[in-house]
Amino acid sequence: MSEAHLTMGAHSAPPMEAPPFAIPSKKLAIWLFLMADVMTFAACVTVYAFTRNATPDWPRPFHSVSAVFVMTLIMLTSGLTMLVALRAAKANDKAGAFRWMMITAGAGVIFTLLHIRDWMGMMSQGVGLFHNPWGPAAFGAAFYSITGFSLLHISGGTIALIVVAIRYRGGRYNADDIEIVNIFWQFVGLVWLFIVPLVYLMNVAR
Amino acid sequence: MATAETHGIGKYVAVYLCLVVLTALQFYIGYQNIEGSALMVRVLTFGIIESILVVVFWMNLGSEKPVFIKFVVFFTLFVLLTFNYSWTDSFRILLFRVTGIGPS
Repeated sequence: MSEAHLTMGAHSAPPMEAPPFAIPSKKLAIWLFLMADVMTFAACVTVYAFTRNATPDWPRPFHSVSAVFVMTLIMLTSGLTMLVALRAAKANDKAGAFRWMMITAGAGVIFTLLHIRDWMGMMSQGVGLFHNPWGPAAFGAAFYSITGFSLLHISGGTIALIVVAIRYRGGRYNADDIEIVNIFWQFVGLVWLFIVPLVYLMNVAR
Repeated sequence: MATAETHGIGKYVAVYLCLVVLTALQFYIGYQNIEGSALMVRVLTFGIIESILVVVFWMNLGSEKPVFIKFVVFFTLFVLLTFNYSWTDSFRILLFRVTGIGPS
C-alpha cells in the first residue's frame, strides 16, 4: 500500500468517541430500551389503576391464584438459570451456557403455555375485551392488555434466548450478548412481579 | 464489557431464595381479608423490594458506574412518579359516581 493510501486511511477513520457513561453501547442501548419500556408498562398499569379506582363495583373474580404462584416461581427460577448461563459464558463454557440458556427458554415456553391456559380459563368464563359476567366492561380490557403485553415480552424474550443461544454456540455471539439478553429477561420477570399483585392479588375473591 | 464478577452463584441463589420468600408472603397477604389501599400498599411494598433485588443483583446494575446508576434510577423514578398525576382525577370520578357530587 502506498504512503498516500495510508495517509488517506488515517484521515477517513476518526478516533472512536468514548461511549456515554463509560459503558458499552450495546448495554446502554438495552437499558435505554428498557427505560422506554417502563414508560409503556407504567402507562398500562396507570390506566388500569385509574379505571379500577374510579369503578366502585370492580369485580374480584379470582378464587384461586395458585396457578399464578406456580407461574411466578417458574419466572423466578428462569431468572436464576439465566444467570447460571451468563456465568458459564463468562467462564468460556460454551456447552454449559448453551444448555442453561435453553433451560431458561424452556421455562419461558412453559410460562407462556400456562399463561395461555389462564387466558383460556378466563375466556371460558365469558371474559372478553369489552364484556364480562361481573359488570364493568373495562375489567376485560385491562386484564388482557396488561397481561397480554407482558406475555408478548416473555414470548419474545424466549425467542431471543433461543436465537442468541444458537448464535453463541455457532461463534457469532459472545458472553457480552448473553449479558444483554440476561438484562432483558430479568426485566420481563421484574414486570411480572408487579403484574401479579396489581392484576391478580388485588382481585382475589373474598 | 462483562461487568458481573465471575464469582460463584451463591449470591444469585441467596437473592433467588429471598425472592421466593417475598413472593410467598405477597400471595399470603393477597389472600388475607385486607381491603383497598391497605392491600395495595402491602403487596406493592413487596414488589418494590423484589424489583430492587432483581435490578441490583440479577441485572447487575449495582456493578455499573455510579453515574450510570444515577441516570437510570433518576429517569425511571421520574417517569413512574409523573404517571401518578392521574390518581387525583380517578378519585374525583369515583366521588362523582358514588355521591353524584361532581364539578359544576
